[in-house]
This record gives sequence, C-alpha cells and structure tokens, in this order.
Amino acid sequence: MNNSPVLQITGLSGGYSLNKPVLHDIALQVQPGEMVGLIGLNGAGKSTTMKHILGLMSPHKGDITVKGKTRAEDPIGYHNALTFVPESPLLYDEMTVREHVEFTARAYGVEQSDYETRTLHLAKLFHMEDKMDTLSTHLSKGMKQKVMIMCAFVARPALYVIDEPFLGLDPLGIRSLLDFMMDLKKSGSSILLSSHILSTIENYCDRFIVLHKGKVIAQGTLAEIAATTGLQGLTLEQLFYELVQGGK
Amino acid sequence: MDLKELRRTRRGRFMGSMLPYVGYIIQSGVAMVFLFVLIVFSAWYTSLLQNVPEGIPIRWIMLAILLPAAVHSSFRTYLQTPDTIFLLPQGHRMKEYFAPSWVSGNVWKIIRLLFVLITLWPLYIRTDDSPKRLLFTILILIAVKLIASYGLWKEIAMLSRPMAGIFTFLRWAVGGLIIAAWLWQHSGRSLIFMVLLAAAYLVALSVPARHAVPWERLITMEKNQGGRALMVLGWFVDVPGREQRVYPRRYLSKWGARLPWRKDTAYRYLLTKSFARGDIFGIIMRISVLALLLNWLNHDSYFGTAIYLFFLFIIGVQLSALRKLHSESFWLTVYPFPEGSKADNTTRFVFRAHLVVALILGLPFLASIGDRLLPVIGTFAAGILVSFLFKAYLSRKAARMADEDL
Repeated sequence: MNNSPVLQITGLSGGYSLNKPVLHDIALQVQPGEMVGLIGLNGAGKSTTMKHILGLMSPHKGDITVKGKTRAEDPIGYHNALTFVPESPLLYDEMTVREHVEFTARAYGVEQSDYETRTLHLAKLFHMEDKMDTLSTHLSKGMKQKVMIMCAFVARPALYVIDEPFLGLDPLGIRSLLDFMMDLKKSGSSILLSSHILSTIENYCDRFIVLHKGKVIAQGTLAEIAATTGLQGLTLEQLFYELVQGGK
Repeated sequence: MDLKELRRTRRGRFMGSMLPYVGYIIQSGVAMVFLFVLIVFSAWYTSLLQNVPEGIPIRWIMLAILLPAAVHSSFRTYLQTPDTIFLLPQGHRMKEYFAPSWVSGNVWKIIRLLFVLITLWPLYIRTDDSPKRLLFTILILIAVKLIASYGLWKEIAMLSRPMAGIFTFLRWAVGGLIIAAWLWQHSGRSLIFMVLLAAAYLVALSVPARHAVPWERLITMEKNQGGRALMVLGWFVDVPGREQRVYPRRYLSKWGARLPWRKDTAYRYLLTKSFARGDIFGIIMRISVLALLLNWLNHDSYFGTAIYLFFLFIIGVQLSALRKLHSESFWLTVYPFPEGSKADNTTRFVFRAHLVVALILGLPFLASIGDRLLPVIGTFAAGILVSFLFKAYLSRKAARMADEDL
C-alpha cells in the first residue's frame, strides 16, 4: 500500500490580505484511508484552510500537495483527486437533483454505468429517490445539502474535503452520511472533515487537528492529544474546551 | 424607520451600479446597430405611410401592439432577502415603501404606451374608416394600464398561485376586450361596456384571499427584474454574475442527456440545461415566432432578407449572452474541467443553436424558391455567414479572456 500522504500541507500561511494572514505556518497531512477531523472555533481558519486546498485562495507561503502534486504542477490531476462538500449548498437553479449528480459524474470522468449504479445507491441511502427529478430551487435546505453530498460521493477521488456536513441534515441523513464515510474510508479514500459536532466526530475520525487563531495548536489521535496536553481521560469536547479556553 | 427614504436609497444604489456601464453602451457596436436599425425602420415606416397598401387589418394591428403595451406591468421594489426579517415588523407600513414603486412603474410604462400609440397613430388614421379621437384613445389606454397594474399587484398577493394564474388570464382578457370594444364599437356603447367590464373585474379582484405583504414572491420578482436589467445591459457590455430566471420546462428535460459522456463536454451539459430552462430560450422563441411571421409576409422581396438578417443578428446577441452564464460559478473552479473547456463548449453551443435558428427562420423563403432561386440561396448563405461571424466573435473573445487570465 502506498503510504505517501494524500494531502500534505507544509508551512502554509495565507488569507484574504497579504498584510493580514489568517493562517500561520499550518502543517498537516492526511494519509490514505484516514478520516481527519479539522476542529476549531468560528474564525479559527478551518474554511480558509479548505479554500486553500481547493485552490480558491493562493497561499502567501507554503505548499499544498494532493497525491504528491501541487495545483500549479497539474491542475486537472489535482482537482480530479478531490471533491468538496461546502458548508452551505451551492446548486444550479436550472438543474434537477439527478442532473447535478450527472454533471458532477461527467466532470470527474466517472463511467456512465458506475454513475447509474452509484446514483441509485446514493438516492436510496439519503432517501432522495422521489426528489431526483425535482429542480434544486424546490428543495429544502437539508435536501440541498444531501445533493451536495451525493455529488461529492458520485465521484470516487482520493480525497474528500467536507465542511460542516451535518448542518441542516436530519438524524437519518447524519447516520447515512457517517456510515457512508466509514465505507469510503475502508475502501482507502481519505476524508478531511470540519465540524462543530465534536461528540459525533469523536467516534468516527482517526485523528484530529485543532486550529486556533489560524495556528495548529494540537494534532493527533484523541489519546495523543490528551497525552501531549496532560489531560488524560477527557472527551474530545472537553479536550477542545481546555485547549482553546485554557479551562476557563 | 423612513421607508420611503429606504426605497429611494436602494433605487439610487441600483442606478449608481448601472451608471458605469453607460459609456460602454454608447461605445459598443451593438448600440450603433440598434441606432442603424431605428433609422432603417423610420425610413421604411415613412415610405409605408406614403403608400399605405389597401386592406390593412389596422384594428387587429392596433389591438396586437397596444394590448401588451397596455396590460404588461411590472414593479421594481428593490426588496432583498433579509427584508423578510428586518422589514417584517414594518409590514403594516409597507404601503409607504411600495407606493413609489407603483407610481414609477406606471409612469414609465404609460410613457412607453404613449410612444407606441403615437407611432401607430398616423397609420391608424390613414387606414381606418372611422378612426377614434386621439385624446379619448389615450385616456382609455391609460385607464387600461392602471387597471392592469392594480390587477397585477393584487395577483402577486394572492395566496393561491393557480387562482393568481386565472386572474392573469382575466387581466389580459379584460384589457383586450376593452381595447377591442373601443376600436370596433360605437364610442357611446363601448364606453358603457368598458365601465361595466372594469367594475366587474375590480370587484372580482377583491374576492381571493391575499397576503398582507407577499414578501417571498416580491423578492423573487425583484430578483428577476434586476436580472433582466443586467441581461439587457449584457447585450452591450460584460456584466458578471447575472442570475437568470428559471422555468421548469419539463418537455425539454431530456435535452442534453445524449451528449457524449466525456469530461470535455461536461460544461456543455450544464450549459444545455441552463439554456433549456433559462430566460434566453424564451426570448429566442418569441423573437423567432415574430421573425418567422415577418419572413413569411415578406418572403418574396429583399426586404424579407433584411428582416431575416436583422432577427438573426438579434438572436446572435441573445445567444452570445450565454458566454456570461456561470461566469462566477464556484463548481467551475473546483471541478476538473480541461483547460478552455468552458469557452470552447460555449462557442460550439452558440454556433450550433444559431445555425439551427438560421435554417429554421429561412424556411419561409423556400415558398418563393421557384421564382427567386438565387436570392433565396443568397438569403440562406447570408444567414449562415452571420452564424459564422458570431462564432468568430466568440472565439476571439474567448482567446482575449484566456490571454488576460495568463
């Protein structure tokens, strides 16, 4: 098995203005078949980190590689290796659910037969069978989020970048998503997931990266973070609270 | 909260956002073409007035042109999505906010209506056996305009959308009957009919249940109005991020499904869906029907060829607007599209659609192919040439954009 990281970020500094970087010297990596939780308070830099990974923002300093290549070296190969689920659904008003999934499958070069099999499975998994031919404007927020998830999962890239996926999802949807992510992980895919629902992701992620004020203040498994901070036996939520608030 | 001032500020901001484009509109070649077309139309209309053909169905022409000008209404409210929260407590006072929208919407549309009427009037009084008096016609058309605007305002607020649809039909029917009664019937008799019909319509409008303020519907309409303003602007200059109005059009849902299953045609899939359900498709259909009618009426003259080429040009301008569609789409940045795929697919799509329209609009000329073989072939050739010219224009634009991106 190839053990080189799927995603590697080294010395990343960046933000919206050169004078005011939001991210400071970020270093992290995601291995094949690993699910990593990116956690932090609002404004900690989680979404900005993801925007840098997606190529929507250019780093002031540092490198980002996906499957060993930077975006500048091989833009199509880079984007082919990742999909993204945004925090707020971004859908085309002109397309139905099925057409969104088909558009994504075409863009990622998924075989037509695979697209059909995967779409059937995803529609069933997320209870969207009767909404497949509905225009996106007629969907509820939770359903729109499910479309985003279905689009990301119809392609089978090496890396999934998922930003706050549980927002707006019903309990069944959350369970389906978590189960599906576990299946993807088992099949060797990597997932970088940001969420505030720490009690949920604690049981699913292999490792956690704690971002605070644009810096990585801790990373590792729950046990490793606990050992580093000397706070054994705490839950992820309690550990996170101690790390960002200093226990106050 | 000063609601009138709030609307004034928002209107000022919108106008301010349009202002920078005025210079480009004046400079643009499209504006020159429109000016040229206006001059040609004036010359043609003057010659028509000097030699009016016998038997023109002038009352039908008046009805067909004046009805949409009198009944079609719209309002700019400048409402925004956050208003459903921040202006909600002011719901009982929103009449203050909406009153200027209603007034300005009507003033501009009455000016448009009068312009149409004054343009048609010389033809009307030369051809009709017993023409009505201009002043009374103006008053009646303004009355129709105000009744239609009031009707639309009530339709927007109706709780039931199917009921609103019925009232839309009723509005057009009442407007049509009033104008027809005035043009065809004796003045006194028609006046009684008009008053009774208008009164019945106004009473009927008060029956359906309504929202106090139909927030979401007004916001959707405002988005569409704003989008339309940007679309018109887009004929002349590049306007980024225009959102188009979407129609379900289930009969076109299969369009695009047979595109080759390849990465390099993925964008064309999105474009096909966007075109099939967007407002540009509707505009092109309406223009094409009008063009087919005029081409049929003039299929045996060079004037027909000029009309054909003019409409092909207009359709080319409309289709070229597809270039700006999804210009700020998030997914086009994230998905792994081959380089130049968006521009290539847009150019191909526009060219093919334009070519198909050119061939369809040329069909009426086949009726005179026996007598005018060369002019008919020339007409088709010129139409195809217009499609190629637009293709070259789009390719040039795409190349320039690619250079700027480097």
